[in-house]
Amino acid sequence: MTSTSVRIEAVSKRFGEVTAVDRVDLSVAKGEFFTLLGSSGCGKTTLLRIVAGFMPQSDGRILFGDACIDAVPAHRRNTGMVFQNYAIFPHLTVVENIAYGLRARGLAAGEINERVGRMLAMMRLEHLGHRRPRELSGGQQQRVVLARAIVIEPDVLLMDEPLSNLDTEMRVHLRGEIRALQRQIGITTLYVTHDQEEALMMSDRVAVMSGGRVEQVGTPAEIFHRPRTRFVAAFIGETNFLPATRLGAGGNDTALYDVPGGGRLAVPSGQASAAGSPAEVAFRSHDLIVGPATESGWTATVTDTQFYGATVRLVLELAPNVFAQAALTGAAAQTLPPPGSRVGLSLHSQSPWIFPAKPQ
Amino acid sequence: MTGLAYTVTPNWLSRHLGFWPVVTALAFVALVALLVLPVINIVGLSLSGKDDQPGVLANYITFFAERFYYQTLINSLIVSSAATILAVLLGVPAAYFATIYNIWGRGFVRAAVVLTFVSPPFIGSYSWVILFGRSGLVTATLAEIGIPLPSIYGAPGIVLVFTLQFFPFVFLMVSSGLKSIDQSIEDAARNLGSSELSVFFTVLLPLLVPSISAGALLVFVAAFTDIGTPIIIGERFRVLPVLIYGEFVNEFGGRPVLASTLAVLLLAVTTGALLVQRWYAGRHAHGTAAIRPLMQREQPPLKRLLASAYVLLLVGMALLPIINIVISSFLKANGPLLLFEPTLDNYIRLLRTVAVPLTNTLLYTTAATVLCAVVGTAVGYIIVRRPGRLGGLLDGVVMFSYAVPGIVLGVGLIVTYNEPPLILTGTAAILILAFFIRRLPFSVRSAVSMLQQLSRDTEDASINLGAGPGRTFLRITVPLLAMAILSGVLLTWSNTIRELSATLVLQSGSTITLSVEIFTEVVNANFGTASALGTILILLTFLPLVVLFRFLGKQEDALV
Ligand SMILES: Nc1ncnc2c1ncn2[C@@H]1O[C@H](COP(=O)(O)OP(=O)(O)O)[C@@H](O)[C@H]1O
Ligand SMILES: [Mg+2]
Repeated sequence: MTSTSVRIEAVSKRFGEVTAVDRVDLSVAKGEFFTLLGSSGCGKTTLLRIVAGFMPQSDGRILFGDACIDAVPAHRRNTGMVFQNYAIFPHLTVVENIAYGLRARGLAAGEINERVGRMLAMMRLEHLGHRRPRELSGGQQQRVVLARAIVIEPDVLLMDEPLSNLDTEMRVHLRGEIRALQRQIGITTLYVTHDQEEALMMSDRVAVMSGGRVEQVGTPAEIFHRPRTRFVAAFIGETNFLPATRLGAGGNDTALYDVPGGGRLAVPSGQASAAGSPAEVAFRSHDLIVGPATESGWTATVTDTQFYGATVRLVLELAPNVFAQAALTGAAAQTLPPPGSRVGLSLHSQSPWIFPAKPQ
Repeated sequence: MTGLAYTVTPNWLSRHLGFWPVVTALAFVALVALLVLPVINIVGLSLSGKDDQPGVLANYITFFAERFYYQTLINSLIVSSAATILAVLLGVPAAYFATIYNIWGRGFVRAAVVLTFVSPPFIGSYSWVILFGRSGLVTATLAEIGIPLPSIYGAPGIVLVFTLQFFPFVFLMVSSGLKSIDQSIEDAARNLGSSELSVFFTVLLPLLVPSISAGALLVFVAAFTDIGTPIIIGERFRVLPVLIYGEFVNEFGGRPVLASTLAVLLLAVTTGALLVQRWYAGRHAHGTAAIRPLMQREQPPLKRLLASAYVLLLVGMALLPIINIVISSFLKANGPLLLFEPTLDNYIRLLRTVAVPLTNTLLYTTAATVLCAVVGTAVGYIIVRRPGRLGGLLDGVVMFSYAVPGIVLGVGLIVTYNEPPLILTGTAAILILAFFIRRLPFSVRSAVSMLQQLSRDTEDASINLGAGPGRTFLRITVPLLAMAILSGVLLTWSNTIRELSATLVLQSGSTITLSVEIFTEVVNANFGTASALGTILILLTFLPLVVLFRFLGKQEDALV
């Protein structure tokens, strides 16, 4: 299958006063699985619909390969889109749904039959070919619309939260399936989701969006381990933020920060904030190690323990009204300090991140 | 890059010659030709001054200076307002009882309301004449035993007929309004200690203001613009639309200026009423939507009996003229006198004459209905799916045609198309186009509401798969809306087939329709023939509705 790279250059979209997409620059490589991740209303759908050609952008341009496609109407863009609510054609059978795009392209009946047949087999839908959509489960409908989008051999596959209407089990199953399928046919894919687990697990690269802007682009590991903005750090994973004061230089080219509860945390100088300006340190709940309290070390009081099964979360008060959470698993989760007890804290090897303090 | 068959350069042509831009342009042309231009022309004519008295307002000055003219406006306002008030006073309680109480004969009540609603108004009035007129059945019978009845002619008769004919507007609007109130709202009021009566006045009535005012507006406009009833039953009591009609048939081709002036006044009142209602209902709109609509409740026997008696009496009265027509169509007639002698004479006599009006009626109605379905769906699509300045303008123009009464449209079309370059007066086309434009706003509104319920993604999916806008509309939108379009077709048919006002001024001898034929027979006092024709017309009106309610599962409030 052939597909193309996609470039989004300084694209903005304004609806009256609202700027839904704000100067977004992205570049998706040929065959890449690229995800737009962000909470509801951050402009993911709008951007995807602009790529599909359903609405014109206010500024910027879109290129498929080297060709600018801004003037190409939606039905000529050769993108395959999968919609959040399926958008299956309810009056057509499964086969007719899948054949729809091929018929619109005026292919010969023989070729249509052959390609639809191959698609049915690939999606394991053979036995459902002549059913109507209302006789299918949600997962089956989603496979039909996926088949419908892929069978036309689009330049780009566009998916807008395709799994959000499914129950958890089906969602987990299908995301693996979609990922495998995408690898198998090597189709350039622009995928939209608000589910960070889905984004990290499926994607080659992820763009985290907020308020119409791209906060960070990177591989799932980069996004998870090296968030570049406070927003990304807060949005991905479970993160603690503590007000911090820069004390001065530590050893090994680091800067030292003082955090509530008497802690001293070292951060590589390159990442440190400007001396004197208020800052926040951030670290994941599961990077916090809880041990016995020591005289001079970093301490906190346990105010609550929350049992989630494999993980247990401790709510810790570091200073009056300054709280943090620790997520404990494995052996650490077996023996828990009772609420009210004082504990000692330290961090796993991963160093904390520093962000300028949020303006009040 | 592969797959992209060709690149398109962005130029003016490709942006403006797509499927929808062309459809939008065609819709504008049709609306301008059939609605905007005629209205502009009558306004222009009315401002063209008089031979002996130049000045743009000369015609209006004449109107308001001469009692012969301005009295008709006052008369119209009096009877329409009276009928509106009575229809609200009678219709609101009836709708409340029929919705909330377990009254007897609910099925009958629903059918009777629909039947009353769709039967042509002038049939109601001449039926009342048959019963209560000077030599009417009831009048004569009661006179024999010495009980004199008040006269049915003049203003009281008009108000009686209008009230009974048009209260279904209020009934249907309020019924559907009640259905949009959630049971929990009433429960909460009761729970807080209100009696039924005080719940009705403090909670339900305020929430029903938009529905009641919409119903009242429909009654007012229908009454204010009706020609048939005042002609048949009004006698010396002259109203504005009848004056227009009179001016027009008398002075045809000679002096349409006065008719235009009168039509503009009529249009001003209906437009004003529409705007006032929109404004008033808008201020009182609460945007309620019921998750669990008001439930029907068991009532103690006496209450149930009284409520049932009230509702049944009201719809019975309204239905009486129709029953009377059907029965008298099978009775021997001697001019306006009906004899109690069963016969098929009336129908047999019809066989010779009915072919032309019947064929015309079916042909024009069908043609207008098809036009309405096609154009209405397309325009609704533009308004919902392609909003923008043009879509908004289209919406505005279509909704304006709500306010244009049949007689005004008739006058406008005649003054516009009775001279070159395009002469349409006297043709079938002008009738079909008039019917079409009269019902278009209803078709558009129903298309708009069904499209709003259809997720846009389904159509976008089709576009995305490579089907162009035209193909998408035909392959996806239309099939998905098929049932809704069919309902719209049945409603348009039922409402078009009984049109009288516009038809009266637009028809010529060869394009006569059933409703005009009935009207003529009534005016000539051939009640037997009129009844037989009336029965046929009622049947043709009612049958599509039976299909609509029985097989398409629609509710009565689809009518308004
Ligand atoms: N057609 C539209 N008209 C006006 N505002 C819109 C329209 N579509 C989206 N928006 C606004 O743009 C913003 C982004 O919406 P969307 O792209 O749907 O977000 P997401 O898909 O990330 O949830 C929201 O604030 C939304 O209200
Ligand atoms: Mg979205």
